[in-house]
Amino acid sequence: MARPGFVLEVDERTPPLLVHEGEGFRLERFPLGTRVIYPPDPLPRIRDVRGAIRHALANPHGSEPLADLLKPGMRLTIAIDDISLPLPPMQAPDIRQLVLEEVIELAARKGVEDLKLTMANSLHRRMTADEIKHAVGERVFRSFYPHDLKNHDAEDRENLLFVGTTEKGEEVEINKRAATSDLIVYVNINLVPMDGGHKSVPVGLASYRSVRHHHNVHTMLHSRSYMDPREGRSAIHDSCRRMGKVLEDAGIRIFTIETTLNNETFPEPFGFMNRREWEWSAKEQATYLAAKKLNDLTPPAVRHQVWMRMRSPVGVTGINAGATDPVHERTLSKIHEQQLVHVEGQSDVLVFGIPYVGPYNVNSIMNPILVHCLGLGYLFNMYRNKPLVRPGGVVIMFHPVPWEFHQVHHPSYIDFFEEVLAETTDPATIESKFEERYATDPWYIHLYRTSYAYHGVHPFYMWYWGAHALDYLGDVIVVGGNRRACERMGYRAATTFKDALEMASETVGRSPSITYFHMPPYLIADVS
Amino acid sequence: MVETAFPKRRSSIVRGLAGKRVLVTGFTGFLGQAVVERLLAEFPDARLVLLVRPQLGSSGRERVDAILSRPAFNALRERHGHEGLRALVDERVEVVEGDVAREEPLALPRDLDVVLHCAATVSFDPPIDEGFQTNLLGAVRLYEAIAASGSRPHLVHVSTAYVAGNRRGVIPEATLDHRVDWRTEAELALQARRDVEAASRKPEMLERFLELARREHGRAGPQTVAEDAEERRKAWVTKRLVRYGRSRAQTLGWPDIYTFTKAMGERAAEELAAEHGLPLSIVRPSIIESALRHPYPGWIEGFKMADPIILAYGRGAIPEFPGIPEGIVDIIPADFVVNAMLAIAATVPEPGRPAYYHVSSGSRNPLQFKDLYRLVREYYQEHPLPIRGRGEVKVPEWSFPGALRVERRLRRAERFVEVADRVVSHLPKSKRMRDLVRRVDGDRGRVEFVRRYADLYGVYTEAEVIYTDDRTHALWRSLTEGDRKRFPFDASDIDWRRYLVEVHCPAVTAGVRALSAARAEPKVRIREREQLVLALFDMEGTILPSNVVESYVWARMADLPWDRWPAELLELFARIPSYLLADRRDRGEFLRTFFRRYEGATVEGIDRLVDEVVSEFMLQKLSAAAVRRVREHRQAGHRTILITAAAEPFVRPIAPLFDEVVAAKLEVRDGVYTGYLAEPPLVGEARGAWLRRYAEREGADLKASYAYADSHSDLALLRAVGNPVAVSPDAALLRVARRRRWPIEDWGMSGGMPRVRFPRPARR
Repeated sequence: MARPGFVLEVDERTPPLLVHEGEGFRLERFPLGTRVIYPPDPLPRIRDVRGAIRHALANPHGSEPLADLLKPGMRLTIAIDDISLPLPPMQAPDIRQLVLEEVIELAARKGVEDLKLTMANSLHRRMTADEIKHAVGERVFRSFYPHDLKNHDAEDRENLLFVGTTEKGEEVEINKRAATSDLIVYVNINLVPMDGGHKSVPVGLASYRSVRHHHNVHTMLHSRSYMDPREGRSAIHDSCRRMGKVLEDAGIRIFTIETTLNNETFPEPFGFMNRREWEWSAKEQATYLAAKKLNDLTPPAVRHQVWMRMRSPVGVTGINAGATDPVHERTLSKIHEQQLVHVEGQSDVLVFGIPYVGPYNVNSIMNPILVHCLGLGYLFNMYRNKPLVRPGGVVIMFHPVPWEFHQVHHPSYIDFFEEVLAETTDPATIESKFEERYATDPWYIHLYRTSYAYHGVHPFYMWYWGAHALDYLGDVIVVGGNRRACERMGYRAATTFKDALEMASETVGRSPSITYFHMPPYLIADVS
Repeated sequence: MVETAFPKRRSSIVRGLAGKRVLVTGFTGFLGQAVVERLLAEFPDARLVLLVRPQLGSSGRERVDAILSRPAFNALRERHGHEGLRALVDERVEVVEGDVAREEPLALPRDLDVVLHCAATVSFDPPIDEGFQTNLLGAVRLYEAIAASGSRPHLVHVSTAYVAGNRRGVIPEATLDHRVDWRTEAELALQARRDVEAASRKPEMLERFLELARREHGRAGPQTVAEDAEERRKAWVTKRLVRYGRSRAQTLGWPDIYTFTKAMGERAAEELAAEHGLPLSIVRPSIIESALRHPYPGWIEGFKMADPIILAYGRGAIPEFPGIPEGIVDIIPADFVVNAMLAIAATVPEPGRPAYYHVSSGSRNPLQFKDLYRLVREYYQEHPLPIRGRGEVKVPEWSFPGALRVERRLRRAERFVEVADRVVSHLPKSKRMRDLVRRVDGDRGRVEFVRRYADLYGVYTEAEVIYTDDRTHALWRSLTEGDRKRFPFDASDIDWRRYLVEVHCPAVTAGVRALSAARAEPKVRIREREQLVLALFDMEGTILPSNVVESYVWARMADLPWDRWPAELLELFARIPSYLLADRRDRGEFLRTFFRRYEGATVEGIDRLVDEVVSEFMLQKLSAAAVRRVREHRQAGHRTILITAAAEPFVRPIAPLFDEVVAAKLEVRDGVYTGYLAEPPLVGEARGAWLRRYAEREGADLKASYAYADSHSDLALLRAVGNPVAVSPDAALLRVARRRRWPIEDWGMSGGMPRVRFPRPARR
């Protein structure tokens, strides 16, 4: 039995604690009395993953076994979670590869000939051949790429199908090949509670026309939190559920395979990052010192390459297959087992470090907007019931926020930063004034379709993800942040943590209660 | 001096000029305006004739009207209103059109009583012929025309105290002691222009100009080279004629052509006046600066002699200046000169016995160079000039180390600037290079400035010379009590501290202060228009921060598997010098050479190569600012055009960004490239010509159109449109853009992207 997560109160004996800050990390001393929330230890991994997959396919929840659904002459489409999962990318073999190999073998045995594979990248950038190969494995890649294994194209009008509208008027439009298949098999990786469920097909294979109904400011402000997908808590998940219903009503059959991972996030020699500081062995302490020194001395370009090559040694903790809802229910409970930590009450200040990678900068650059998304979007929302910080409280993040963008992956981000944020940071204004122009821009569409660019509208979503936090917080302070970049986003930059606390005192007074959200590895705070 | 005593007047000079008809020349100039203003304001019974040169489509009368709205007439306008002033002018002023610098008959009225000849060149070192034209021949023509018209007026000839030339000591108010024949000098001066023009057209000279032009503009094309060579020839002629003037003046004992020709003018005036029996007064003011009282304290037009130095000092640009600290700087406020002139005009000497007047301060109220420096410094310490965004200038302290030391320092600085200039002009294109060029240009400007003024004004600040003004003073004393109050010109009356610190320096710096607040860097403004507007973008170096050679080598390598790299690289490296050379000489030639490498490649293969590998390379290097600008233009409804010498297939990845792409077409036979171009590449000047034809065909408004380019070789393209923008320019274009005040922008890649990327070898 793995140790559960817990809340530490900083006292005289507490050592300095590890804080992530982009492509770097540090040990920081926290004021006495600070609450530090640690995730549970990694759950034990499944030893025989292939066996577990076969078992799941043969014993699905709310569905016949997959073997019974596969027939000769049928149209089968397998949709696969894209590059945004897991984080960091996992060491080979990727769980998607293992699942795919079992499913495809089964399909072949059953005489299925019309089989296509689609990366469910929605409005994300296309995956490169190498990235796809890593996700699906050499065998699948060689057999299907590039003709039968493709990236989903949300702007290919020819290959989209309008399925219908929900009772709330939300349009559902997804990949035509998938929609016209006899069966869609969805291969998922569920890293955090936000993922999976009805977010898989209705979002992963959708077009802008469909996505805009839930990726918008109104929905974001009513998703508290979108890491808590229970009905009525998260408007975005409610919307996805309605869309899933439309698909089901239209007779589109989905067989979902969801997988969960433990939180063995960092590989050796960075294993110390997975552990609690006072339990570091002499070797781990030495590794920390060496790694820290080396990392600080390495030129940024090389450092970036090193971090980007990091592959996570995560273990698989669960595989569930069958109908979306019963499968997702089990998935969530497994995630909660791994990530949920009970916390009493809110504090005035919430502190967390922003790690080097988020869903949208795998093999890429974490630009300021992605810092915003990861910090105020994802990390801030890692709670159930209520945020860790009180209304009007302060978030202190650690990240250098360099004024850097990946020109191939994030072209619309650059313009968003230079043009939109230079004018306003208010999500509602941004949505009404700029979104449509960016979303329908032919150049961005061209880049999304032919190059490796995120869709023109994507930076807007990144900004909306943080809408609730922006609305809720009194101040956002970034330790070590680029002053100009922070200012543009409405943040304040501080040189040191002490300065940041000093600045926070304007909002929350001299002796605020402080919570340090110690991650990654990721955790969800269940705040009562 | 016998004539220094004037009988005490009983009536005012106003009455002296009552009912008189007064001709004023040089009304559009500094002194002329002030004189006319006073005549209009204080002499209600004097009638005026203004001799005004029509200019650029505006008649003499229109020019007069324009001048009436200048600050000199503020008080009058306030008193009479703008219309009232015009009515007053209509009533009392006759405007005669004519140009004394031209050989045209002047139609002057026959009943002139006084002539105030204020017209003069303000330049100290004009080409020799121009100096003679305005300062000597202008006066000659004017006086001859007056004599011919039948009037017998009192000539008041405005000269300068410095006609005394290089003499030291005390200079009397008397005729100049020299035997130079002005007619011969004038004739030879005009001859010099013809000689120098002819010399500049000799083949050796022309070839030299061409060579220099080619070295700098070779890549831009033959037309640009030709234009530049002609510019160089003209500049050479001017410089040479200036030298003619300076050296001629100096061999005769004058420091420069200005004082020399002024001296000649005096002599001519004396002779002509004697010949025609006209009374003549010669007024010799020293250095005229802003007015002390009239039309208002601090009134000044443009910069006078001391002002550029005062300003440059205030900017901190003159660390040291030659000049003797005890030397006397003879400054006189403009209104003193005007008042003296009016008093002189009312005091008619006997014909044949010209009267000479020094209007100066040196003998009665001397201002030493060190005091001038001290007071100006005091002013700046209290009111320093602002530096945009960086606080205020701290003015340097002069130690007056003597002319020799200053000269040595100046020479060192000149040599340094020369070397620095050569170095930065050859640096590769980068932001750092541009900053350096800006700095070197700034330094050069300062050094050249100090050099120019040290050479020019050396005599004025070093001369230990005093211009006596006994006669002027006697005239002053003879005035009625009322006139002395109304028309003061007693030099001992000047409080230098008050004048310099409170009146003159604020007046001189006011314009600069206003300007530095308003003068922003030129910026691109994108406007929507009815007519078709084009936005042209050069590709290499402008929207992609790499040159053609780099991108082609890259594409070439990406096309080959690893094991073939060494051989290809070896061959490429062996050829790179010749490619670069060809590119430097002529981009078209380079392209022709390089495209040969694609002989035998299939169209399909190249397209695949571009889509799969070159595309990512290009998008990664594509400047984000460029993309944003292109899209801004599209949004404004402009037609965006990419113009490049690269081959069409290589532009595919960024083509959708533009409405139109103009690229080199490769010849294709049976789906295979032949290695030849189907059309000559569009580079250099060909772009300008192409653009004009295109605009005509499409009905585009080039005046409202935009062009973006990085290289001096794109000058033709940039000059063809109304809104040219230099993007990350090379040194040559940077200088052109700064001179013409074109917007200069820096479009780089986004931070965090690798600068150098190696292609990944082709898969097999």
